Amino acid sequence: MNRTRIQSYLLALRRELWIRGLIDAESLSEIKSHLLEAVEQNVKRGLSKDEAELEALARFGNVKTIASAFERERIDLVQKILFALAVLTGLFIAYVDSRPTWDDSGITAGAILLSSGLITLLGFRRPWLIALAIGLWMPLYETVTSHNFKFPGVILFPLVILLIATVGAYAGWAARLGIRKTCHLA
Amino acid sequence: MIGEALKGHLDLLLLSVLAEGPAHGYAVIESLRQHSSGLFDLPEGTVYPALHRLEEQGLLRSRWQEDSPHRKRVYHLTAKGEETLAKRQAEWQRFSKAINATVGIK
Repeated sequence: MNRTRIQSYLLALRRELWIRGLIDAESLSEIKSHLLEAVEQNVKRGLSKDEAELEALARFGNVKTIASAFERERIDLVQKILFALAVLTGLFIAYVDSRPTWDDSGITAGAILLSSGLITLLGFRRPWLIALAIGLWMPLYETVTSHNFKFPGVILFPLVILLIATVGAYAGWAARLGIRKTCHLA
Repeated sequence: MIGEALKGHLDLLLLSVLAEGPAHGYAVIESLRQHSSGLFDLPEGTVYPALHRLEEQGLLRSRWQEDSPHRKRVYHLTAKGEETLAKRQAEWQRFSKAINATVGIK
């Protein structure tokens, strides 16, 4: 029965980490070892096994707090990777679109929409930054190479591209929130 | 409040504890509690992500120890960790000296 309480905690933590894309078997194994040792030590101090386990879990912190702590510590690396991916995707789309043989604006717009959505769905937390990272390069290249700095083209084209990227990024972000919420309710 | 203040200096505290010798997470937390006379009151689980980050930064290294009832991940300070600890200790000394002087503690 006591074992089940620790296991339930670990399962709940596993789920919280999974939702945040942070699942790591080694961390869970380490946490399990910590909790079992804490229970043992509490029993040695004279607590009943039930009390020992409750105290060990209370001291360790609730699953949301711990999962958030893991998220905060790992956020930099994951976010940097996703941001780099967004910049590379934006550059690639701009390169393909700049080819003289490429003449399909619909596919370009779809690629911007989908890639922005996918990267925020994967866990990037600032959709507006992803929209910029993906949507900035194409209008920038277009403006610089065509030397067209006339209004309204110089403003409208980037705005349309950035709008598409923003819609995609926020759609992915909303989808991720929806998935997280569903998992919480399940 | 003291817990929050400690949180801001968690890296220095963890490196200092591990400078005394290799230890696993549970022992590190116990040591933090003893050294701080029980003032360390952060949820224990929040120490693990910090240990993992310090390992990713190359300040710590860990290995699994299998020769105990529970598998334990034992951390030890690397050379880079020792250097960083020395720097942080010097920073802390300057910082605490300045604060003490300001609030009137000699």
